[in-house]
Amino acid sequence: MDTTAVAASRRASGAAHGGKYLTFMLGREEYGLPVLKVREIIKVMDITHVPQVPAHVLGVINLRGKVIPVIDLRRKFGFDDQAHTERTCIIVAEVTLTATALMMGVVVDAVSEVVTVAPSEIDDAPHFGGQNGIDYILGLAKVKGGVKILLDLDRVLGSDGTLAIHKV
Amino acid sequence: MKTGRRQAPKPPPVVDDELATFVADPELATAFVADGLDHLGTIEQTILKLEASPGDLALVNDLFRPFHTVKGNAGVLGLLSIEGFAHRLETLLDLARSGAHRLGASEIELVLEAVDLLQIMVQDLPARAAGRPGTDLGARRQAVIEAVDRLMTAGAAAESASAEATAGQAASAHAAAGQAAAAEATSASPQATALQLTGDSWVGEPTTVKVSTQKLDVLVDMVGELVIAQAILAEDPALVRVGDERVSRQLAQVRRITGDIQRDAMSMRMVPIRPTFQKMIRLVRDLAKKFDKPTQVVVAGDDTELDRKLVEQLTDPLMHMVRNTIDHGVESAAVRAAAGKPATAEIRLNAFHRGGGVVVEISDDGAGLDTERIHARAVAQGVIASGAALTPAEIHQLIFRPGFSTAEHVTEVSGRGVGMDVVRRNIEALRGRIDINTERGRGTTFSLRLPLTLAIVDGLVLGVGGDRFVIPTPAVQESLKPRPEQVHTTHGRPCMVQVRERLIPLLHLGDAFGIRGARPHICDGTVVIAEDNGRPVALVVDELLGKREVVIRSLGEMFRGVAGIAGGAILGDGRIGLILDTGALLSLVSAAPLRVAV
Repeated sequence: MDTTAVAASRRASGAAHGGKYLTFMLGREEYGLPVLKVREIIKVMDITHVPQVPAHVLGVINLRGKVIPVIDLRRKFGFDDQAHTERTCIIVAEVTLTATALMMGVVVDAVSEVVTVAPSEIDDAPHFGGQNGIDYILGLAKVKGGVKILLDLDRVLGSDGTLAIHKV
Repeated sequence: MKTGRRQAPKPPPVVDDELATFVADPELATAFVADGLDHLGTIEQTILKLEASPGDLALVNDLFRPFHTVKGNAGVLGLLSIEGFAHRLETLLDLARSGAHRLGASEIELVLEAVDLLQIMVQDLPARAAGRPGTDLGARRQAVIEAVDRLMTAGAAAESASAEATAGQAASAHAAAGQAAAAEATSASPQATALQLTGDSWVGEPTTVKVSTQKLDVLVDMVGELVIAQAILAEDPALVRVGDERVSRQLAQVRRITGDIQRDAMSMRMVPIRPTFQKMIRLVRDLAKKFDKPTQVVVAGDDTELDRKLVEQLTDPLMHMVRNTIDHGVESAAVRAAAGKPATAEIRLNAFHRGGGVVVEISDDGAGLDTERIHARAVAQGVIASGAALTPAEIHQLIFRPGFSTAEHVTEVSGRGVGMDVVRRNIEALRGRIDINTERGRGTTFSLRLPLTLAIVDGLVLGVGGDRFVIPTPAVQESLKPRPEQVHTTHGRPCMVQVRERLIPLLHLGDAFGIRGARPHICDGTVVIAEDNGRPVALVVDELLGKREVVIRSLGEMFRGVAGIAGGAILGDGRIGLILDTGALLSLVSAAPLRVAV
């Protein structure tokens, strides 16, 4: 294997994805969202169920007069349900599914912190697309002694159905 | 006067450097596009008026001024293609307003074509500024430019020919009189201009300011949030417990003021329907020519105001209905003459407020709908059973079924290929309906009934399990507590409820939507009879929770496919009630037999 070529391609993809990320937990894994897309973080509140939607779509909430949809990220990634703790919260983020940007909430187990990731710290992700073939992982960031899975939220939420994350 | 050999005019260069200033100053650019389209609209209206009263020099001036303005503004922004093209027309109009060239039918057609092209050119600017290609109008522009040149040369030749002819005739008094008349004509125009300035169009003109629609929408949204926040505050249990009279009075005052602000904010979104009707006038003119069916348009109530978003959505259905009227409703000249009708058909457009909503009418004095033929066609197409008894009104509504047509042959009427079924669907999407009033041989009136605004609906709040739903009050016929003997079953499963003489299909919302905690027994709950376009459905819910006006919020594209839900409404306690779409609910009825008990 030509290490310079591999390193070069890593740098190439990492360069596109360096920046600040909000990290959060799903189970024992840590994920990251580009912080520029995050609008706010709120405690889990009354979610109004909407009929005939996939299981990971929990419904809608009233965010200061705006009606925004809420997704359960655990269900989206095929994890089992877990009871909510006082650390469970909803990250409200800006998502672009088709043409316009809209606000969506994602339920996560806990929010950690904002980390700055340098392009050199990002590795290409193995393709987790699974049966959908959707590349929703921007890369794997090695920071602060842990690995954070950096997500492209548009791609995560843009696909119908559950996304399979294979345990590495 | 051009004589001798002329070089064929070169097509104006389409250079994208011409966008440099446009791109550099977005505010100026936006203003140019908005003003430009405004002016072009005015030019179109004026030319149509001129067609009706040719030779009215005041109108010719009204035509020249906006062309001059658009040309000038384009020049300021360095938009050479628009400036150059407008200049050609302006030259012709300049000759016209000084009386040196008469605006006949060819000139009018030309100006209209030029207006259409300029509209496209102006509308293309934002796309071109973003790097996308504009519409290729080179050939059409060239055709207009050449036609203008031809007309000006021909006009000049005619002028010189007539001058020679008058000189050739003996009487110098004749020529003198002719010259004096020409002088009067030229001096008359500045006076006409002055008159115009003090004419009706200026006196009493209300002052206006231009506000970006985005700012307006944000304001209306914020006011909506204020109303909701205020309602939540007023119903807060802690506040209610306090029970202080002074506090109650102050809250009532806040509610009153908030209500006023909301009304005023909503009214800012209301715009008159006039521009939409103007589009129809132009369309009728073009189609009447195309089909050789002389038609005039009479407009009433064009100052009636509707929600801006409603007006935008109304244009396409209205245009299609007008096309349909001219194509199928208006008879040929021969048929009209035989029927003793005036040679020119009449289409009346009317708009007025009624019963909390707005009505837009399109009437014609044409052939009217042939009820029997529609009925026969529907039976032949298997749309209705041959024995079915339908009222005339129900038969007329059949023309809105997809694929239904009594036309002997299809004409190429529009590039959109829109059928009457799409028209009705568009109107229903606006929570409106279309009524038909027709008399064979006399004519037809289509009445579009629409809510005043799309943003607010008066609704009945329904409780099912722990969830809340809202159904628009106009869709509700009645509600009742059903008795077991009223519920009819098929194979042991409840499917219908009998209300007086009618058997109405049942839809248990808890069952249809999978709501846990909903009362399983129909007779423990309440039945709400709702209807959509005459078709009733009996909704089984736990209880009625009151009537209130709610602000509709779209749930977003994610929920577009959910059948039966039209949006969300924020209720007084801050929770969300899903707004029911009655028409879609009907489709859920036949889905599966109910899994509930009587």
